Amino acid sequence: MPAPRRWDTPFWNRATETMPRAELDRLHLARVQALLHHAYESSAFYRRKLDAAGVHPRDVRSLEDLKTRVPITDKSEFIGLQQERPPYGDTLALPMDLISHHAETSGTTGVPLSIPYSMADTVRYGESWCYGFWGLGIRPSDTFYFAFGWGNFAGFWSAYWGARRLGCRVVSGGGLDTKGHVQAILRTRPTVLISTPTFALRIAAVAAEMGVDLSQSSVKFTYHAGEPGPTALPGMREQIERAWGAKAGELLGIAEVDAMAPGCPNGDGVHMNEMNLHSWSMDPETGKEVAPGEIGENVVTGYGQTAQPLINYRTHDLVRRVASCSCGRTWGKLEGSVLGRTDFMVTVRGTNVYQSAVENILAEVPGVSMHYELVLTRADDNDVMTIRFEPEPAIGGDEAAVRKAAEEAGTRIHRALHVRLECQPVPCNSLPRFELKTKRMIDQRPKEFRRALDR
Amino acid sequence: MTRDEQIAALTRARAEVGRVIAGCDSPQIETIARSADMELHWALWNLGEPVSLRAEMDEPTAAGR
Repeated sequence: MPAPRRWDTPFWNRATETMPRAELDRLHLARVQALLHHAYESSAFYRRKLDAAGVHPRDVRSLEDLKTRVPITDKSEFIGLQQERPPYGDTLALPMDLISHHAETSGTTGVPLSIPYSMADTVRYGESWCYGFWGLGIRPSDTFYFAFGWGNFAGFWSAYWGARRLGCRVVSGGGLDTKGHVQAILRTRPTVLISTPTFALRIAAVAAEMGVDLSQSSVKFTYHAGEPGPTALPGMREQIERAWGAKAGELLGIAEVDAMAPGCPNGDGVHMNEMNLHSWSMDPETGKEVAPGEIGENVVTGYGQTAQPLINYRTHDLVRRVASCSCGRTWGKLEGSVLGRTDFMVTVRGTNVYQSAVENILAEVPGVSMHYELVLTRADDNDVMTIRFEPEPAIGGDEAAVRKAAEEAGTRIHRALHVRLECQPVPCNSLPRFELKTKRMIDQRPKEFRRALDR
Repeated sequence: MTRDEQIAALTRARAEVGRVIAGCDSPQIETIARSADMELHWALWNLGEPVSLRAEMDEPTAAGR
Protein backbone atom coordinates (compact mmCIF):
# COMPACT_ATOMS: atom_id res chain seq x y z
CA MET A 1 0.00 0.00 0.00
CA PRO A 2 1.42 3.47 -0.78
CA ALA A 3 2.80 5.19 2.32
CA PRO A 4 1.24 8.37 3.71
CA ARG A 5 2.76 11.53 2.23
CA ARG A 6 3.60 13.31 5.49
CA TRP A 7 6.65 11.75 7.19
CA ASP A 8 7.98 14.81 9.02
CA THR A 9 5.21 15.14 11.63
CA PRO A 10 5.96 13.70 15.08
CA PHE A 11 2.31 12.61 15.45
CA TRP A 12 0.46 9.65 13.96
CA ASN A 13 -2.71 11.76 14.34
CA ARG A 14 -1.95 15.26 15.60
CA ALA A 15 -5.63 16.24 15.90
CA THR A 16 -6.52 13.54 18.40
CA GLU A 17 -3.15 13.25 20.17
CA THR A 18 -3.27 16.95 21.02
CA MET A 19 -7.05 17.29 21.43
CA PRO A 20 -8.08 19.65 24.27
CA ARG A 21 -9.17 17.88 27.47
CA ALA A 22 -12.77 19.10 27.35
CA GLU A 23 -13.21 17.76 23.83
CA LEU A 24 -11.59 14.43 24.76
CA ASP A 25 -13.89 14.08 27.75
CA ARG A 26 -16.98 14.80 25.65
CA LEU A 27 -15.93 11.98 23.32
CA HIS A 28 -15.16 9.69 26.26
CA LEU A 29 -18.63 10.16 27.70
CA ALA A 30 -20.36 9.36 24.39
CA ARG A 31 -18.15 6.29 23.90
CA VAL A 32 -18.51 5.04 27.48
CA GLN A 33 -22.30 5.31 27.15
CA ALA A 34 -22.26 3.41 23.84
CA LEU A 35 -20.04 0.69 25.33
CA LEU A 36 -22.24 0.33 28.41
CA HIS A 37 -25.33 -0.13 26.25
CA HIS A 38 -23.52 -2.67 24.06
CA ALA A 39 -22.25 -4.62 27.09
CA TYR A 40 -25.61 -4.54 28.88
CA GLU A 41 -27.51 -5.72 25.82
CA SER A 42 -24.98 -8.31 24.62
CA SER A 43 -23.14 -9.78 27.60
CA ALA A 44 -24.91 -11.81 30.28
CA PHE A 45 -22.05 -11.04 32.64
CA TYR A 46 -22.46 -7.27 32.37
CA ARG A 47 -26.25 -7.41 32.54
CA ARG A 48 -26.03 -9.31 35.85
CA LYS A 49 -23.26 -7.08 37.13
CA LEU A 50 -24.99 -3.79 36.36
CA ASP A 51 -28.39 -5.05 37.54
CA ALA A 52 -26.83 -6.16 40.83
CA ALA A 53 -25.34 -2.68 41.26
CA GLY A 54 -28.69 -1.07 40.46
CA VAL A 55 -27.22 0.84 37.51
CA HIS A 56 -28.66 0.95 34.01
CA PRO A 57 -26.50 2.34 31.18
CA ARG A 58 -28.93 5.29 30.79
CA ASP A 59 -28.09 6.28 34.40
CA VAL A 60 -24.48 7.06 33.45
CA ARG A 61 -24.62 10.72 32.47
CA SER A 62 -21.09 11.79 33.34
CA LEU A 63 -17.59 10.37 33.64
CA GLU A 64 -17.99 10.84 37.37
CA ASP A 65 -20.91 8.39 37.21
CA LEU A 66 -18.61 5.88 35.52
CA LYS A 67 -16.09 6.19 38.36
CA THR A 68 -18.56 6.14 41.22
CA ARG A 69 -21.60 4.12 40.10
CA VAL A 70 -20.45 1.55 37.57
CA PRO A 71 -18.98 -1.50 39.29
CA ILE A 72 -15.29 -2.34 39.08
CA THR A 73 -14.35 -5.50 37.18
CA ASP A 74 -11.37 -7.76 37.66
CA LYS A 75 -9.58 -10.45 35.69
CA SER A 76 -10.49 -13.14 38.21
CA GLU A 77 -14.22 -12.68 37.39
CA PHE A 78 -13.58 -13.27 33.69
CA ILE A 79 -11.35 -16.29 34.33
CA GLY A 80 -13.97 -17.80 36.64
CA LEU A 81 -16.74 -17.48 34.02
CA GLN A 82 -14.50 -18.83 31.29
CA GLN A 83 -13.62 -21.86 33.38
CA GLU A 84 -17.32 -22.53 33.95
CA ARG A 85 -18.06 -22.52 30.21
CA PRO A 86 -14.98 -22.41 27.97
CA PRO A 87 -13.74 -20.67 26.02
CA TYR A 88 -15.40 -17.34 26.90
CA GLY A 89 -18.47 -18.08 29.02
CA ASP A 90 -20.82 -15.20 29.72
CA THR A 91 -18.12 -12.63 29.07
CA LEU A 92 -18.68 -12.76 25.30
CA ALA A 93 -20.61 -9.80 23.87
CA LEU A 94 -20.65 -10.66 20.15
CA PRO A 95 -21.92 -13.69 18.23
CA MET A 96 -19.18 -16.31 17.81
CA ASP A 97 -19.26 -15.90 14.03
CA LEU A 98 -17.92 -12.35 14.48
CA ILE A 99 -14.86 -13.61 16.39
CA SER A 100 -11.81 -13.48 14.13
CA HIS A 101 -8.91 -14.15 16.48
CA HIS A 102 -8.35 -15.95 19.76
CA ALA A 103 -5.50 -15.05 22.10
CA GLU A 104 -4.60 -15.78 25.70
CA THR A 105 -2.76 -13.98 28.44
CA SER A 106 0.60 -15.41 29.42
CA GLY A 107 -0.76 -16.77 32.67
CA THR A 108 1.91 -15.14 34.84
CA THR A 109 -0.69 -14.48 37.55
CA GLY A 110 -2.23 -17.94 37.40
CA VAL A 111 -4.72 -19.33 34.84
CA PRO A 112 -4.52 -17.78 31.34
CA LEU A 113 -7.42 -15.54 30.31
CA SER A 114 -9.00 -16.28 26.91
CA ILE A 115 -9.40 -13.20 24.71
CA PRO A 116 -11.76 -13.06 21.73
CA TYR A 117 -11.28 -10.36 19.09
CA SER A 118 -13.52 -9.34 16.23
CA MET A 119 -11.84 -8.19 13.01
CA ALA A 120 -12.51 -4.55 13.97
CA ASP A 121 -10.96 -5.17 17.41
CA THR A 122 -7.73 -6.40 15.78
CA VAL A 123 -7.58 -3.29 13.57
CA ARG A 124 -8.01 -1.01 16.58
CA TYR A 125 -5.52 -2.95 18.68
CA GLY A 126 -2.91 -2.83 15.92
CA GLU A 127 -3.50 0.87 15.38
CA SER A 128 -2.55 1.48 19.02
CA TRP A 129 1.02 0.43 18.31
CA CYS A 130 1.33 2.92 15.44
CA TYR A 131 1.28 5.95 17.76
CA GLY A 132 4.37 4.69 19.58
CA PHE A 133 6.15 3.47 16.46
CA TRP A 134 5.64 6.81 14.73
CA GLY A 135 6.55 8.86 17.79
CA LEU A 136 9.88 7.01 18.10
CA GLY A 137 10.72 7.76 14.47
CA ILE A 138 9.78 4.48 12.78
CA ARG A 139 8.42 5.04 9.27
CA PRO A 140 6.81 2.91 6.51
CA SER A 141 10.22 2.36 4.89
CA ASP A 142 11.36 0.37 7.96
CA THR A 143 11.50 -3.40 8.30
CA PHE A 144 10.32 -5.15 11.45
CA TYR A 145 11.92 -8.29 12.81
CA PHE A 146 9.72 -10.24 15.22
CA ALA A 147 11.79 -12.28 17.69
CA PHE A 148 8.61 -13.95 18.78
CA GLY A 149 7.20 -17.49 18.64
CA TRP A 150 3.66 -16.62 17.42
CA GLY A 151 1.80 -18.60 20.05
CA ASN A 152 -1.41 -17.27 21.56
CA PHE A 153 0.30 -14.30 23.24
CA ALA A 154 -1.68 -11.22 22.19
CA GLY A 155 1.04 -8.67 22.71
CA PHE A 156 3.15 -9.27 19.65
CA TRP A 157 0.33 -10.39 17.39
CA SER A 158 -1.03 -6.89 17.87
CA ALA A 159 2.41 -5.43 17.16
CA TYR A 160 2.27 -7.31 13.86
CA TRP A 161 -1.14 -5.82 13.12
CA GLY A 162 0.38 -2.41 13.87
CA ALA A 163 3.42 -2.95 11.63
CA ARG A 164 1.07 -3.92 8.78
CA ARG A 165 -1.04 -0.83 9.39
CA LEU A 166 2.07 1.33 9.27
CA GLY A 167 2.93 -0.21 5.91
CA CYS A 168 6.30 -1.68 6.90
CA ARG A 169 8.04 -4.83 5.70
CA VAL A 170 7.66 -7.62 8.24
CA VAL A 171 10.10 -10.47 8.88
CA SER A 172 9.06 -13.28 11.22
CA GLY A 173 11.62 -14.96 13.44
CA GLY A 174 9.02 -17.42 14.70
CA GLY A 175 10.37 -20.85 15.56
CA LEU A 176 14.05 -19.91 15.51
CA ASP A 177 16.40 -20.35 18.46
CA THR A 178 18.45 -17.40 19.66
CA LYS A 179 21.39 -18.08 17.34
CA GLY A 180 18.89 -18.42 14.51
CA HIS A 181 17.52 -14.96 15.33
CA VAL A 182 21.04 -13.49 15.09
CA GLN A 183 21.63 -15.14 11.73
CA ALA A 184 18.21 -14.07 10.42
CA ILE A 185 18.80 -10.47 11.49
CA LEU A 186 22.13 -10.41 9.66
CA ARG A 187 20.57 -12.01 6.58
CA THR A 188 17.29 -10.03 6.32
CA ARG A 189 18.63 -6.66 7.53
CA PRO A 190 15.65 -5.39 9.56
CA THR A 191 15.68 -1.87 11.01
CA VAL A 192 13.30 -2.52 13.92
CA LEU A 193 13.49 -5.31 16.50
CA ILE A 194 10.29 -6.35 18.30
CA SER A 195 10.86 -8.43 21.43
CA THR A 196 10.58 -8.40 25.17
CA PRO A 197 13.32 -6.21 26.69
CA THR A 198 15.18 -9.07 28.33
CA PHE A 199 15.08 -11.14 25.16
CA ALA A 200 16.67 -8.23 23.26
CA LEU A 201 19.57 -8.41 25.70
CA ARG A 202 19.67 -12.20 25.40
CA ILE A 203 19.95 -11.99 21.60
CA ALA A 204 22.76 -9.44 21.89
CA ALA A 205 24.62 -11.63 24.40
CA VAL A 206 24.35 -14.72 22.19
CA ALA A 207 25.46 -12.64 19.20
CA ALA A 208 28.53 -11.54 21.14
CA GLU A 209 29.34 -15.21 21.86
CA MET A 210 29.08 -15.81 18.10
CA GLY A 211 31.50 -12.93 17.47
CA VAL A 212 28.74 -10.65 16.17
CA ASP A 213 28.41 -7.06 17.39
CA LEU A 214 24.75 -6.17 16.92
CA SER A 215 25.43 -2.51 17.62
CA GLN A 216 26.87 -2.52 14.08
CA SER A 217 23.83 -4.26 12.59
CA SER A 218 21.04 -2.79 10.44
CA VAL A 219 18.73 -2.38 13.47
CA LYS A 220 18.03 1.31 14.26
CA PHE A 221 15.11 0.87 16.67
CA THR A 222 14.10 -1.69 19.25
CA TYR A 223 10.53 -1.71 20.53
CA HIS A 224 9.35 -3.62 23.56
CA ALA A 225 6.39 -4.73 25.62
CA GLY A 226 5.39 -7.54 27.91
CA GLU A 227 7.48 -6.66 30.95
CA PRO A 228 9.10 -3.55 32.48
CA GLY A 229 11.33 -2.07 29.78
CA PRO A 230 13.33 1.00 28.87
CA THR A 231 10.77 3.52 30.13
CA ALA A 232 10.18 1.89 33.50
CA LEU A 233 13.82 0.84 33.97
CA PRO A 234 16.34 3.44 32.75
CA GLY A 235 19.18 0.96 33.31
CA MET A 236 17.47 -1.41 30.89
CA ARG A 237 17.30 1.35 28.28
CA GLU A 238 21.01 2.03 28.61
CA GLN A 239 21.91 -1.66 28.23
CA ILE A 240 19.63 -2.26 25.23
CA GLU A 241 20.66 0.90 23.40
CA ARG A 242 24.34 0.12 23.94
CA ALA A 243 24.02 -3.52 22.89
CA TRP A 244 22.02 -2.76 19.75
CA GLY A 245 23.33 0.71 18.83
CA ALA A 246 19.65 1.58 18.48
CA LYS A 247 16.94 3.77 19.95
CA ALA A 248 14.77 1.77 22.35
CA GLY A 249 11.04 2.33 22.70
CA GLU A 250 8.38 0.78 24.86
CA LEU A 251 4.65 0.38 24.98
CA LEU A 252 2.50 -0.42 27.99
CA GLY A 253 -0.07 -2.98 27.00
CA ILE A 254 -2.40 -5.42 28.66
CA ALA A 255 -3.24 -8.39 26.48
CA GLU A 256 -6.96 -8.40 27.18
CA VAL A 257 -7.31 -4.60 26.93
CA ASP A 258 -5.17 -3.00 24.26
CA ALA A 259 -1.67 -1.86 23.38
CA MET A 260 -3.00 0.91 25.49
CA ALA A 261 -0.18 3.34 26.19
CA PRO A 262 2.51 4.14 23.62
CA GLY A 263 5.84 5.36 24.91
CA CYS A 264 6.33 9.13 25.05
CA PRO A 265 9.07 10.26 22.65
CA ASN A 266 10.67 11.94 25.69
CA GLY A 267 11.38 8.45 27.03
CA ASP A 268 10.13 9.20 30.54
CA GLY A 269 6.63 7.77 30.46
CA VAL A 270 3.76 6.48 28.36
CA HIS A 271 0.58 8.18 27.13
CA MET A 272 -2.78 6.42 27.51
CA ASN A 273 -4.36 6.04 24.05
CA GLU A 274 -7.48 8.11 24.61
CA MET A 275 -9.01 7.19 21.27
CA ASN A 276 -9.20 3.56 22.37
CA LEU A 277 -9.93 3.77 26.08
CA HIS A 278 -10.84 5.82 29.10
CA SER A 279 -8.76 5.47 32.26
CA TRP A 280 -8.54 6.89 35.76
CA SER A 281 -6.47 6.31 38.90
CA MET A 282 -8.09 4.62 41.88
CA ASP A 283 -6.98 4.21 45.45
CA PRO A 284 -6.93 0.37 45.63
CA GLU A 285 -7.93 0.47 49.30
CA THR A 286 -10.91 2.86 49.12
CA GLY A 287 -11.99 2.55 45.47
CA LYS A 288 -12.06 6.36 45.21
CA GLU A 289 -10.25 8.42 42.57
CA VAL A 290 -6.88 9.79 43.66
CA ALA A 291 -5.81 13.38 43.00
CA PRO A 292 -3.88 14.18 39.79
CA GLY A 293 -0.19 13.37 40.25
CA GLU A 294 -0.87 10.92 43.10
CA ILE A 295 -0.08 7.24 42.76
CA GLY A 296 -3.14 5.07 42.14
CA GLU A 297 -4.22 1.93 40.36
CA ASN A 298 -4.90 2.37 36.65
CA VAL A 299 -8.54 1.48 35.92
CA VAL A 300 -9.46 1.23 32.25
CA THR A 301 -12.55 1.06 30.03
CA GLY A 302 -11.68 -0.09 26.51
CA TYR A 303 -13.64 0.85 23.40
CA GLY A 304 -11.63 -1.43 21.13
CA GLN A 305 -12.58 -4.68 22.83
CA THR A 306 -16.15 -5.08 21.67
CA ALA A 307 -16.04 -8.90 21.75
CA GLN A 308 -15.23 -9.03 25.45
CA PRO A 309 -15.79 -5.53 26.87
CA LEU A 310 -13.69 -4.41 29.79
CA ILE A 311 -15.40 -1.68 31.79
CA ASN A 312 -13.82 -0.12 34.87
CA TYR A 313 -11.29 -2.93 34.66
CA ARG A 314 -8.61 -3.19 37.33
CA THR A 315 -5.12 -3.40 35.86
CA HIS A 316 -3.37 -3.75 39.23
CA ASP A 317 -0.75 -1.36 37.82
CA LEU A 318 0.21 1.46 40.14
CA VAL A 319 0.78 4.64 38.16
CA ARG A 320 1.33 8.37 38.55
CA ARG A 321 -0.90 10.17 36.01
CA VAL A 322 -0.18 13.72 34.87
CA ALA A 323 -2.26 15.85 32.51
CA SER A 324 0.32 17.52 30.31
CA CYS A 325 3.63 16.77 28.63
CA SER A 326 6.29 18.80 26.85
CA CYS A 327 5.90 16.52 23.80
CA GLY A 328 2.57 18.22 23.11
CA ARG A 329 0.30 15.22 23.66
CA THR A 330 -2.75 15.85 25.79
CA TRP A 331 -3.39 12.16 26.42
CA GLY A 332 -2.90 11.34 30.11
CA LYS A 333 0.73 10.50 30.82
CA LEU A 334 1.89 7.78 33.19
CA GLU A 335 5.25 9.01 34.42
CA GLY A 336 7.79 6.17 34.44
CA SER A 337 5.10 3.83 33.05
CA VAL A 338 4.08 1.30 35.73
CA LEU A 339 5.58 2.07 39.13
CA GLY A 340 4.49 -1.08 40.84
CA ARG A 341 1.84 -3.74 41.07
CA THR A 342 -0.87 -3.90 43.68
CA ASP A 343 -0.54 -7.66 43.58
CA PHE A 344 3.27 -7.81 43.45
CA MET A 345 3.90 -5.83 46.55
CA VAL A 346 5.31 -7.46 49.64
CA THR A 347 5.71 -6.01 53.06
CA VAL A 348 9.17 -6.75 54.39
CA ARG A 349 9.65 -5.76 58.02
CA GLY A 350 6.93 -3.15 57.76
CA THR A 351 8.07 -1.68 54.45
CA ASN A 352 6.08 -2.04 51.22
CA VAL A 353 8.49 -3.31 48.58
CA TYR A 354 7.44 -3.19 44.93
CA GLN A 355 8.99 -5.46 42.34
CA SER A 356 9.68 -2.63 39.91
CA ALA A 357 11.36 -0.51 42.58
CA VAL A 358 13.86 -3.30 43.28
CA GLU A 359 14.34 -3.90 39.55
CA ASN A 360 15.02 -0.21 38.96
CA ILE A 361 17.82 -0.26 41.50
CA LEU A 362 19.35 -3.53 40.33
CA ALA A 363 19.54 -2.24 36.76
CA GLU A 364 21.90 0.51 37.95
CA VAL A 365 24.31 -1.61 40.03
CA PRO A 366 27.68 -2.19 38.32
CA GLY A 367 28.44 -5.87 37.93
CA VAL A 368 24.80 -7.00 38.28
CA SER A 369 23.41 -8.36 35.00
CA MET A 370 19.77 -8.21 33.86
CA HIS A 371 19.40 -11.88 34.77
CA TYR A 372 18.02 -12.06 38.28
CA GLU A 373 15.02 -13.29 40.22
CA LEU A 374 13.25 -12.10 43.34
CA VAL A 375 12.44 -15.00 45.64
CA LEU A 376 9.61 -14.52 48.13
CA THR A 377 9.50 -16.69 51.24
CA ARG A 378 7.87 -16.43 54.65
CA ALA A 379 9.72 -16.37 57.98
CA ASP A 380 8.75 -15.19 61.46
CA ASP A 381 5.36 -13.92 60.21
CA ASN A 382 7.02 -11.70 57.66
CA ASP A 383 7.46 -11.78 53.91
CA VAL A 384 11.10 -12.15 52.98
CA MET A 385 12.52 -11.20 49.59
CA THR A 386 15.87 -12.58 48.46
CA ILE A 387 17.52 -11.38 45.26
CA ARG A 388 19.36 -14.05 43.28
CA PHE A 389 21.39 -12.48 40.51
CA GLU A 390 23.91 -13.43 37.88
CA PRO A 391 26.96 -11.17 37.77
CA GLU A 392 28.00 -9.56 34.51
CA PRO A 393 30.09 -12.16 32.61
CA ALA A 394 33.13 -9.85 32.74
CA ILE A 395 33.39 -10.30 36.54
CA GLY A 396 31.83 -13.76 36.76
CA GLY A 397 35.12 -15.44 37.66
CA ASP A 398 36.24 -12.80 40.15
CA GLU A 399 34.83 -13.74 43.55
CA ALA A 400 35.79 -10.48 45.19
CA ALA A 401 34.17 -8.41 42.44
CA VAL A 402 30.99 -10.48 42.59
CA ARG A 403 30.82 -10.11 46.37
CA LYS A 404 31.30 -6.36 45.98
CA ALA A 405 28.44 -6.18 43.45
CA ALA A 406 26.16 -8.04 45.88
CA GLU A 407 27.08 -5.69 48.72
CA GLU A 408 26.55 -2.66 46.50
CA ALA A 409 23.11 -3.92 45.46
CA GLY A 410 22.14 -4.46 49.10
CA THR A 411 23.42 -1.02 50.10
CA ARG A 412 21.58 0.78 47.30
CA ILE A 413 18.33 -1.04 48.03
CA HIS A 414 18.61 -0.20 51.72
CA ARG A 415 19.36 3.44 50.98
CA ALA A 416 16.44 3.83 48.54
CA LEU A 417 13.79 1.55 50.02
CA HIS A 418 14.79 1.51 53.70
CA VAL A 419 14.78 -2.25 53.85
CA ARG A 420 17.57 -4.82 53.87
CA LEU A 421 17.23 -7.57 51.26
CA GLU A 422 19.66 -10.45 50.93
CA CYS A 423 21.48 -10.38 47.57
CA GLN A 424 22.83 -13.78 46.53
CA PRO A 425 25.06 -14.10 43.47
CA VAL A 426 24.55 -17.24 41.39
CA PRO A 427 26.78 -18.56 38.56
CA CYS A 428 26.53 -16.93 35.12
CA ASN A 429 23.96 -18.60 32.84
CA SER A 430 22.40 -20.54 35.71
CA LEU A 431 19.02 -18.77 35.79
CA PRO A 432 16.36 -19.72 33.22
CA ARG A 433 15.99 -17.63 30.04
CA PHE A 434 12.60 -16.70 28.62
CA GLU A 435 11.54 -15.66 25.14
CA LEU A 436 8.33 -14.08 26.37
CA LYS A 437 7.70 -12.69 29.83
CA THR A 438 10.67 -13.22 32.08
CA LYS A 439 9.58 -14.75 35.35
CA ARG A 440 11.31 -12.57 37.92
CA MET A 441 9.14 -13.17 40.93
CA ILE A 442 9.50 -16.62 42.45
CA ASP A 443 6.82 -16.78 45.11
CA GLN A 444 7.55 -19.58 47.57
CA ARG A 445 5.25 -18.26 50.29
CA PRO A 446 2.41 -20.51 51.46
CA LYS A 447 -0.73 -19.89 49.38
CA GLU A 448 -2.57 -18.21 52.18
CA PHE A 449 -0.01 -15.49 52.32
CA ARG A 450 -0.41 -14.57 48.66
CA ARG A 451 -2.98 -12.35 46.98
CA ALA A 452 -5.74 -14.18 45.13
CA LEU A 453 -4.31 -13.79 41.64
CA ASP A 454 -0.87 -14.98 42.72
CA ARG A 455 -2.02 -18.29 44.09
CA MET B 1 -9.23 19.73 3.24
CA THR B 2 -10.74 20.70 6.58
CA ARG B 3 -11.78 18.18 9.25
CA ASP B 4 -15.43 18.85 8.51
CA GLU B 5 -14.88 18.28 4.79
CA GLN B 6 -13.07 15.00 5.54
CA ILE B 7 -15.96 13.87 7.74
CA ALA B 8 -18.51 14.76 5.08
CA ALA B 9 -16.58 12.90 2.37
CA LEU B 10 -16.08 9.81 4.55
CA THR B 11 -19.77 9.78 5.46
CA ARG B 12 -20.76 9.96 1.79
CA ALA B 13 -18.30 7.17 1.02
CA ARG B 14 -19.88 4.98 3.71
CA ALA B 15 -23.30 5.55 2.18
CA GLU B 16 -22.01 4.47 -1.24
CA VAL B 17 -20.25 1.40 0.21
CA GLY B 18 -23.44 0.58 2.10
CA ARG B 19 -25.31 0.47 -1.21
CA VAL B 20 -22.80 -2.09 -2.50
CA ILE B 21 -23.14 -4.19 0.69
CA ALA B 22 -26.91 -4.21 0.33
CA GLY B 23 -26.99 -4.76 -3.40
CA CYS B 24 -24.23 -7.19 -4.33
CA ASP B 25 -24.68 -10.96 -4.55
CA SER B 26 -21.01 -11.94 -4.41
CA PRO B 27 -19.58 -13.08 -1.05
CA GLN B 28 -16.22 -11.72 -2.15
CA ILE B 29 -17.45 -8.23 -3.05
CA GLU B 30 -19.66 -8.01 0.05
CA THR B 31 -16.72 -9.00 2.27
CA ILE B 32 -14.43 -6.40 0.67
CA ALA B 33 -17.13 -3.73 0.95
CA ARG B 34 -17.70 -4.56 4.63
CA SER B 35 -13.97 -4.28 5.22
CA ALA B 36 -14.01 -0.88 3.51
CA ASP B 37 -16.94 0.23 5.66
CA MET B 38 -15.14 -0.89 8.83
CA GLU B 39 -12.12 1.24 7.86
CA LEU B 40 -14.24 4.27 6.93
CA HIS B 41 -16.04 4.01 10.28
CA TRP B 42 -12.63 3.81 12.00
CA ALA B 43 -11.46 6.92 10.15
CA LEU B 44 -14.52 8.82 11.40
CA TRP B 45 -13.88 7.53 14.95
CA ASN B 46 -10.31 8.87 14.76
CA LEU B 47 -11.52 12.22 13.52
CA GLY B 48 -13.42 12.47 16.79
CA GLU B 49 -16.86 11.83 15.31
CA PRO B 50 -19.41 10.32 17.73
CA VAL B 51 -20.07 7.30 15.49
CA SER B 52 -21.45 4.03 16.85
CA LEU B 53 -19.22 1.51 18.62
CA ARG B 54 -18.99 -0.83 15.62
CA ALA B 55 -19.53 -0.14 11.93
CA GLU B 56 -22.38 -2.61 11.43
CA MET B 57 -24.37 -0.96 14.24
CA ASP B 58 -24.97 1.95 11.85
CA GLU B 59 -26.67 -0.33 9.32
CA PRO B 60 -30.46 -0.06 9.30
CA THR B 61 -30.77 -3.85 9.27
CA ALA B 62 -27.87 -4.50 11.69
CA ALA B 63 -27.23 -7.57 9.57
CA GLY B 64 -23.85 -8.44 11.09
CA ARG B 65 -20.76 -9.39 9.15
